[in-house]
Amino acid sequence: MKDFFKGSSLKVLIIAVVVLLGLAIYTATAGGTFIAGLLGLVSAPMQSIATDVTGGVTEFFDLESYSKEELKALVERLQQERSALAQQLVDYEDKKRENEQLKQQLQIAELEPENKMCSATVIGRDPNDVFAGFSIDQGSLSGVSVGDPVITGQGLVGVVSQVYATSSVVTCLLSEDLQVAAVSIDREESGVVTSSVITASSGLLRLNYLSSETKLEEGDIITTSGAGGSYPANIIIGQVQSVEKSENDISKYAVIKPYEDLAHVKDVQVIISFPGKGEEAPTLPVGGEDHAKEDGE
Amino acid sequence: MRDFNRVIRYLAYTLELLVLFMLQETPGLLPPIYGVRPVLLLPAVVAIALFEEEVPAMAFGILGGLFCDFGLGCGLGFHGAVLAILCFLISLQSRSIMQVNLATALLTGLWAIGLTICAQWFFLYYFKYSLPQYAFTHHYLPKFFYTLLFLPLLYYLNRGLYQAVRAQDR
Repeated sequence: MKDFFKGSSLKVLIIAVVVLLGLAIYTATAGGTFIAGLLGLVSAPMQSIATDVTGGVTEFFDLESYSKEELKALVERLQQERSALAQQLVDYEDKKRENEQLKQQLQIAELEPENKMCSATVIGRDPNDVFAGFSIDQGSLSGVSVGDPVITGQGLVGVVSQVYATSSVVTCLLSEDLQVAAVSIDREESGVVTSSVITASSGLLRLNYLSSETKLEEGDIITTSGAGGSYPANIIIGQVQSVEKSENDISKYAVIKPYEDLAHVKDVQVIISFPGKGEEAPTLPVGGEDHAKEDGE
Repeated sequence: MRDFNRVIRYLAYTLELLVLFMLQETPGLLPPIYGVRPVLLLPAVVAIALFEEEVPAMAFGILGGLFCDFGLGCGLGFHGAVLAILCFLISLQSRSIMQVNLATALLTGLWAIGLTICAQWFFLYYFKYSLPQYAFTHHYLPKFFYTLLFLPLLYYLNRGLYQAVRAQDR
């Protein structure tokens, strides 16, 4: 023990700890480092292969685990859903055609959607992350940057928080770090979507700052509002599960159930650029002002 | 020859940590219990530190810690510093105070992994997010016990590796 205090080992430990704490402070303030980039470069391809193999094996066993009756019931249910959706599609096409005709009559110009997307696969989920964050196999070489929204076909799932050359870390929508300006397309009521460790553990979100007379009901669809320029407008977040009274004041909040299972996402799209990105205030689409004037008149 | 065997052993440890990092990060591979998955790198660096001298033990603690930091996407160095100190102390303890066997390895894992997870909770969660008590009982505590389950396996793996390469050395 006496040798320990006299020897060089303790000095090495002290130097190492001081250097690591310096590195921790530096990376916490300045972002990525060469070491992080190097680790990402080494681990990303191997993680990608491991995820592919695991995905294949899991899928194989999942299919095997269905019995014949269960598969029959599943096919029947999907056929019923398909019929219902086909009917909805006919209605949608009618509405779309009608909408186009009205736009032509009123001479309303429309901004073409200019979202630039990049497909990615989830290659890692860290067990230390309380809020189900994950890594994807696309990085700065594919044009991904910090703050880019990440979506699936079912809606918003998170935001890119760290970018390396060939991989990125995504903060999940379930994280307390994220606050998303949201709106109900049915009721035209807005709020802020957040989460906490309790809601995150059950895969739910909260739409805060609703008025005490809110008309939101179970089943209402919540989308991004586009306010603030962090997210494109009209990306689906989820649907209202219940409306509750806030613990702190007279306002209410809605419990939102995301359409996507946020803790088990596999394939995602990163929105690299979109109209209005980085703008502080939401912008009216071209023709929107004219339309508003016409409404006023 | 002695140095060559040491290099081989260190390379094997590095490869082991890299593989364990991939295993713990791969989605869907290790089944979640109470919604949490184990951190395989923690019992691995503890097991390595039980057999190695202070400075190599600390070096592998740093490597495992940097992998943890990278996976979490937090500031690089936090886990590195915590595991550097713990692995150094574990190595010192196993060389001067107690014999190395499964019982002492479990005892060491209990306090070392416990301290690491408490440090995670305190420094990375407590001051930043809401409901720290809930997070501790519903995330950090189950993760601690689940992680501890892998210690016997990694203890025997690293003991085998150490003895095999040391036997050649002799």
